[in-house]
Parts: sequence; C-alpha cells; structure tokens
Amino acid sequence: MTAMTHRILVHAALAAVLAWAATTARAADRPALVETPMFADAIAGGTLPPVAMRVPDAPRILSFDGTKAIPGRHGGELGILMGRVKDIRMMVVYGYSRLVGYDRKFELRPDILDRVDVEDGRIFTLHLRKGHKWSDGHPFTAEDFRYYWEDMATNDVISPTGPPPQLIVDGERARFEVVDERTVRYSWSKPNHFFLPALAGALPLFIYRPSHYLKLFHQDHAEPVALQRMVEEKRQRDWRALHFKQDHPYKYDNPEMPSLQPWVNTTESPAQRYVFVRNPFFHRIDAEGHQLPYIDKVNLAIASAKLIPAKAGAGETDLQARNLGFGNYTFLKQGEKRNDYTVRLWQTAKGSHMALFPNLNIEDEQWRALFRKADFRRALSMAVDRHEINQVIYFGLATENNNTVLPASPLYKPEYGTKWTQHDPKAANKLLDGLGLRERDGDGIRLLPDGRPLEIIVETAGEETEQVDVLQLVTDAWRKIGIKLLTKPLQREVLRNRVFAGFTQMSVWSGLENGIPTPELSPRELAPTSQQQLQWPKWGQHVETKGHAGEPVDMELPKRLQELDQKWRVTSDRASRAEIWDQMLKIHADQIYTIGLICCVMQPVVVNNRLRNVPEKGVYNWDPGAFFGIYGLDTFWLAPDAG
Amino acid sequence: MSERLAHFVSEAPFDPLEVETLTAEQERFYMASQWRMMWWRLKRHRLAVIAGLALVLSYFSILITEVLAPYDLHTRNIDHIYAPPQLVHFFHEDRFVGPFVYGFDYTLNLEILKKEYVPNPAKVQRLRFFCRGDDYVFWGLIEGDRHLVCPAEGGTMFLLGTDRLGRDMASRLLYAGRISLTVGLFGIAISFLLGITFGGVAGFFGGWVDNVVQRMIEILRSLPELPLWMALSAALPVTWSPILVFFAITIILGLLDWPGLARAVRSKLLALREEDYCAAAQLLGARPSRVIARHLLPNFMSHLIASATLSIPSMILGETALSFLGLGLRPPVTSFGVLLTEAQNIEAVALYPWLMLPMLPVVVTVLGFNFLGDGLRDAADPYAEL
Repeated sequence: MTAMTHRILVHAALAAVLAWAATTARAADRPALVETPMFADAIAGGTLPPVAMRVPDAPRILSFDGTKAIPGRHGGELGILMGRVKDIRMMVVYGYSRLVGYDRKFELRPDILDRVDVEDGRIFTLHLRKGHKWSDGHPFTAEDFRYYWEDMATNDVISPTGPPPQLIVDGERARFEVVDERTVRYSWSKPNHFFLPALAGALPLFIYRPSHYLKLFHQDHAEPVALQRMVEEKRQRDWRALHFKQDHPYKYDNPEMPSLQPWVNTTESPAQRYVFVRNPFFHRIDAEGHQLPYIDKVNLAIASAKLIPAKAGAGETDLQARNLGFGNYTFLKQGEKRNDYTVRLWQTAKGSHMALFPNLNIEDEQWRALFRKADFRRALSMAVDRHEINQVIYFGLATENNNTVLPASPLYKPEYGTKWTQHDPKAANKLLDGLGLRERDGDGIRLLPDGRPLEIIVETAGEETEQVDVLQLVTDAWRKIGIKLLTKPLQREVLRNRVFAGFTQMSVWSGLENGIPTPELSPRELAPTSQQQLQWPKWGQHVETKGHAGEPVDMELPKRLQELDQKWRVTSDRASRAEIWDQMLKIHADQIYTIGLICCVMQPVVVNNRLRNVPEKGVYNWDPGAFFGIYGLDTFWLAPDAG
Repeated sequence: MSERLAHFVSEAPFDPLEVETLTAEQERFYMASQWRMMWWRLKRHRLAVIAGLALVLSYFSILITEVLAPYDLHTRNIDHIYAPPQLVHFFHEDRFVGPFVYGFDYTLNLEILKKEYVPNPAKVQRLRFFCRGDDYVFWGLIEGDRHLVCPAEGGTMFLLGTDRLGRDMASRLLYAGRISLTVGLFGIAISFLLGITFGGVAGFFGGWVDNVVQRMIEILRSLPELPLWMALSAALPVTWSPILVFFAITIILGLLDWPGLARAVRSKLLALREEDYCAAAQLLGARPSRVIARHLLPNFMSHLIASATLSIPSMILGETALSFLGLGLRPPVTSFGVLLTEAQNIEAVALYPWLMLPMLPVVVTVLGFNFLGDGLRDAADPYAEL
C-alpha cells in the first residue's frame, strides 16, 4: 500500500508541461484480433462488423504488466447483487471507462483518450482515438465534445446556471476549441487543478455526449414536429425535460442511449434484474488481441440490502463487496467451501470508518456555543474508548485513530491521529467542568446553562447495524462523563436535509473520503467548502453558492482553514503544498471538528472461484478508486473450472 | 273500610330443609358463589392450570428480576463476545460436585475471524448461590448486589450465551420479560377500561349513542393495524425517556385493542338491560352508571376476564412486532422484540443461534395465555355440559 500511494502522482502533471507518452500502440502494432464468439452470428448475419472494424485503430492495449493478471477468454455471465434499483449506476463506476482514469497505483492515465497534452496546468489538449465508436457503432468524435459544451453546458435552457464548477476557474469559463475531428482543447488563463481528476472520478464529469442521439431531443437540432410528438409520448413537460430524461450517462437507466462503457444496459427501469451486455465497440484489448470485456453479460439482481450478505454466503453472486460489511466476514468465510467462492479482505481508504460530526451550524444557540468550544469536542473524543470499540466489534483489527490521513499517505504524521484520542474520562470530565457544565441532574447527566440536560441526539442513516453497536459503546462511555447519547435512525436524505437545515445536533458518517492524499491533491475536504460536510454544512453551502445561501464562516480557525485551502490553489511547489496540508491537518487534530471513532476497517469481497484476475489485495474506495473500477472489471474473466 | 284481619303467625316449628336436608358437602356446592364454581371448573382443565402456573411463575419472576438475573442488563464482558451457552453440570469425572459450569478456552480463529469457545474440563467453576454480584437498584428503590446465583469467582456463567457486546443473554431475557409481560397487562387494563365504558354506554342507552360508538368502532377496526401502530409510535419524540416511551407504547396498544371488548360488552348489555331486575333498579332511581356497574357487569364479568386473557398475547405480540421493526421500545430498554431485532441478521441464524432464544419466551407466554384463556372461557359458564 505504501509503495502504491507514494506514487500517487495524480497531479504532478499539472504544473509543468507534460504530454503523456502514448501508452497505446499505433494501428500497425495492434495485435492480431480475436473475434468474440458471442457476436459470431451477428457478424455472419451482417448486422455487426468484424472485430477489426469495431475496435479503434489504436486501441488501449492492456499488458497486465506488474500485476498477477493473465489474459483470459471471452464468454460467461457475471452476477452481482445490488441493494437498490438506483445502484445500477454502479456499472458506470465498476466499468470505469473514463477520458482519463486512475490506474492501480492511483496515477492518471489516458483511457478513452489517446493522449492528453497539458501546458502550464491550464491548457488541456485531448486527443481521441482514431476509429473509436459509440456502443451503437456511430463514430465518437470532437463533435460529441462540442455538443456538450455548446448545446448543453453553455446552453441557457439546459444549464441556466452555466457550466459545472470544474470547468470554471475563478469565475472564468473554459475556452473550448475544436482543433480537428479528433482533437479538442480546453484552456483557462489560470491553472485548473480539478479538471483531470473530475474526468477520472468515480462519478465523472462527462464533458462529451452521444451527440447523434441527443440531438433528437434538442430543440436546436431536432425536427420540431417529431420532437413535440416525442415530448408528448414520453409525457414530459417540454423538450428540456425530455432531454434530461434521455441523458443519463451516469444513472445508466436509459438503454437507448449509446455509451462508451464496457457493458451497456439493456433493461428498462424499473426491474428486478438488469442485464448489461458487452459493448461491441469497446476500446480496450488485451495483449493477445481479445477485445475487452472478457465477460459477455453482467446481471445485476436487485435484492433487499439486508438479504445481500445471506445471498452472498449462499453463492448467489460472483463478485460482491457492496452491502457487505466487516461483520459479515465470519459468516461469508464459513460458506466458502460449500459454495465455491473466496472471501478477500481489501483495504479501505477513508480517513475514518465511522466518525461523529458535531453540527457547528446548529440552530439552537446553546448547543451551537457548546459545539464550537474545542474543549467540549476534545472531551467527547477523549471519553470514547476506541480500544474497546476495536476489540468488541473489529476483532482488534481496525485502527484506533482520529479522522485524518492514513499512514499510507506521504502526508501522514502519527500525532494527527492520536491527539485528543487517548481514552481518558478523568481528563474529559475535567475539561467539561472547566467549561462550567458542573450542574448535574438526578441521573448524573450534566445540565446546560439553561437547565436542559446534556442529551446529544446522534442521527444515523442506520444502514449498518454496526453503527448502532458502536454508538451503543459510545453511549456507555459518554455516560461516564455525564453526557447522554441518544440514537435516531433516519433515511439518508432526511438526515442530510436535517443537517443542512441545522436541526441535527450530531450525525454519524464515514470520515475523509480520500485518506491517502498526496500534497498535490486539493485539501478542500479539510476546509469548509461543501454543504456535504456534516460538521459545518452552512459554511460549506455559503462557499458553494458563492454567498447566496448558507452562512459565512464566523470562527477563526475554520476561516484559517479556508485561507490555507485558497493558498494551496495558488501554490505549486510540492514542499509548500505539503506544508499547507500539514498546517490544516494540525488544526484538525487539535480542534477535533470531527470525532473519528475507528479507522481502516477492512472490506470483505466475495469472489467466485472461477472468476480470474480479481486481485488478492486491493483498495476498496469510492474516489479515487471507483471500487472495482481501477482494477478493471472488464479484465476479469470466468475460467471453466475453479482450478 | 273493612275490618282489619287479626295478625296470624303459626306457632308450629318450621324446618326449611325438611323436604331435603343438605349435607355440609352439598351445601357448599349449592351455595357456592359464581367465582368459586369457576375455580372448580378451571381446576379440571389441566392445560389451563399448567399454563396458569407457568404464567404465575413468569410474572413472579419479573417482580424479582434483579435478584434472579446473574448479571446486570448492561454488563458487557468484552472477553466473551458471542460465547455459546454454558451447560450446568453436576458430576465431574463421575464425582458429584454440585452445579457447576466448565470454563471456556477462547481462541480467535484468524482464518474466519470467529471467536471460538471450547469448554475446558479442567476449569470446573462451581456456581455460587445467594452471592454478591453486579450492583443493582431493586425496582429503582433499594440498592443491592445479592443474586440468586452467580458464576464462580473469576468465572463466567452464560446459561444462554452472550450477544455481540458480550452481554449475558439469560439476564437480558429476564429483564426483557419484565417489560414485555407488563406491556400486556397495562395495555389490557387500558383496553378494559375503554371497552367497558364505551360498550356499556352503547349497550345501555342504545339509540344514537350506540350508533356513534358502533361507527367509531368500525372506523377503528377498518384501519390497518400495523401501519397505524407504526405511525403512532414514529410520532414519539426520541428525547422521551425509555420509561415514557414504554407507557406510550402500552397506551397505543390499548387504544387500538378496545373495540372488540366494547362490542362484547354492548351485545351483552343489550340483552340484560331488558331484564326485570334492571328495570327494578332503574325504578328505584339508580343512575345508569350504578345500574351498569353494580347490576349488569357482574353478570358477565367472568366472560370479560376470559376474553381479556385471550387478548393479552396479542398485546405482547404487538409490542414485539413494533420493537422488532425498530419503532417500539428502544435500547437501553430491553423487551423480547428488542432482543429479536438484534438477532435479525444472517449471522445470528448461521453462527450464533442462541441469539434467537427470545422467541421461546414469546411463544411460551402467548401459548400460556391462550390455554389459560381457553380454560377460563369454559369455566365462565360453569353449568355448561362438558
């Protein structure tokens, strides 16, 4: 893991001029291509061209160098379980076909693109592959980028608020040029650090669209009568709504929409089982000339999230990590032999598996004053017995750390994770006494200055029983310092809205999204920058809406964090950026804005024994990582026997 | 005006029993009150007696839960998470040593990350009786630490195993019983009160009063039960103390249960109010409440009790269902439903089956009340032929 993350060179490229060496071969050195058996009939029938016409002239050739993966064979169906219909979008995440994407070492590599030229971190020239086609066989060209930019992102009807923030630097929109049919250029006058990572995200920024398809629904392109008829047929309000409805590259619920992913959806929503069939025009091949993906079909079965561990243990899935938790490991392991699968434990890369977020923007004034006192948050943190949580729930295999960067990050320092996290109820009590919370009621619960008992309601999305168990341990621990904890399970959306509105006192969620950053990655997660930050949603909203909503930061240190984040954006050498990270992490370690409870809990991954090329050890992370995405679901293949 | 006849009283001795002299035995029988006759009849119903005894025992146990339970409800034993039940033995190597358990050898199976406990015959841990154990506050009033039975010093005694936080299931079951069993009683008391009042009023007055009450009942009964419970209990604020929530839940259960009883009361009253003694009482100027309570209700009180007994199990099941859905009682209050919620995962079924034990007392109590209610219903009509 260390070696891997040390080389997260993600943005090293941004400052200097850099052109990626083309990782792909020219048409001449394309290996002899192997026809896909599944398409034999279609080719014989003339409905599909042979493979040499389908893959780009310069496909992306995966050599599997440095991995244990081996070239496989075509065919087979892969079954995966999902907890909600919405989760079919996971096929875009796992498929991980991106303009540029992270590789296993978390370095950015061109994927759909042939190459990217970056000048000064501000001029990005994207080169497409010659002969690359959409899943319906239509050529993928610069026109698809132009359509997105001119007819969608800067179209007043479709995007009244303008292009997405990643395409804007300090209020300046990107300058978009079509250089030729296979080359487009985005440029700004200042560096844009967020552009390439956004393209590589698990939820990527799609800056291209199948223009030939979407034009059918666009007022500026479609034939008005036909468009009006379609609007009525699909019962949409107007063409704009229709366009939105048909344009779901990420939600992936429109089987008609052409795609560049390895598998395309063939099932209309809603359904209980979704079939994703291989994209005949996919741009990756292996060294032996097999067009990827190896697997013909991926079947997503929708099951109740609670039943997924049981179904996985019964061997009803070929590859599963979603909806499985560490607590299921023992059960899953027991079924291994009987049902011919293997359970692997992958690392996670979140700053904290579970963390408490005191809401510094809560409406209630008394609570707000209290939560904003560092000593109060420190007392809460010190009262938690992390060792007990680790022993009781995680077999002592987790890490008893605060919510911060992980040891695998080059920015890691032990004191980030250990300051104010030693279990010390005495010191915690002293801190609380020092805050003047000396009065107690009959049950020994401390009282607020206005006489209300110190009851903290922790709201949880309640999706895992594990959370409830950990909170139970925290409840008992906090009782010893005279604080009562109550747990309230809520729907995820309801919880978020309550936090945003300032009704929630404290919420429980996972910690930092990316626990293994490098100095080149933006430290924005540490500063109030987003409404999704449950400890200061209103400050985040204020930043996100450029001051139209939310509240300005009115505390000294969070303001300082914001300044540091701004400073990082205009700093370009590695040492100064690391220095900024260090300052921000120190503030977090000392101020305990979030109370990390436990970290680095492993993720069980159930893998059918016939499924090859799934790494033994991996990092299961949302972004960067896209869960299985960086390991290439398209390179997994089914062997005839478990062997 | 006629002459008044002379007052005549016969001087002859009069023996009221001269036709038939009752033996003391017979006298006891014929003069027996209704309740006594019910009791006789009930005694002949074997199943009902056994069920009744079991219920008496379990209700007695909830009076002294603190003493019976070897551990406190919240005592966690971190070294014994998911420990299986320990059997009580009497003989060690063919020698009688009195009740004891074998201590556990614990290994963590790193292969499958399972905590494995093997009873070690070398670790004979004799149980202690009337011993000092976890502190408790008896009914929240008297502090104490005496328990009926405790593990050996430094030993463990998990007769029904432990849960994921290393809490003794046996103790938790006993404490859960206290809540679950009383929910039924409180609930039925509320439902009884409401049922008799509304049913009595409707039956006695008839007319538009009856009409209103009947329609009310129909509306209540037409509401689907579970969603209604769920809506009501979801409305309970989270900050309420567990005790308050407990009472709220019983009230909710009671509020929804009374219509059946009210109907029974009404139909009985409709018939009985036409009786002469009822007319007599009214003519003597008794108020309706007195007529209903003193003259009419006693006539079928036995029926009411029988039907109440039969509806206690539905209360217990209702609480269990609500808590199971996470809408009823919440930890730290523990009821059978709360315990079952915690067993609501595949691990409990496959690896730790003792977590599902709370089903057993639910089944036993529900069956117990059903058998007893059955016996009571038969007994309530002592003259019926068997």
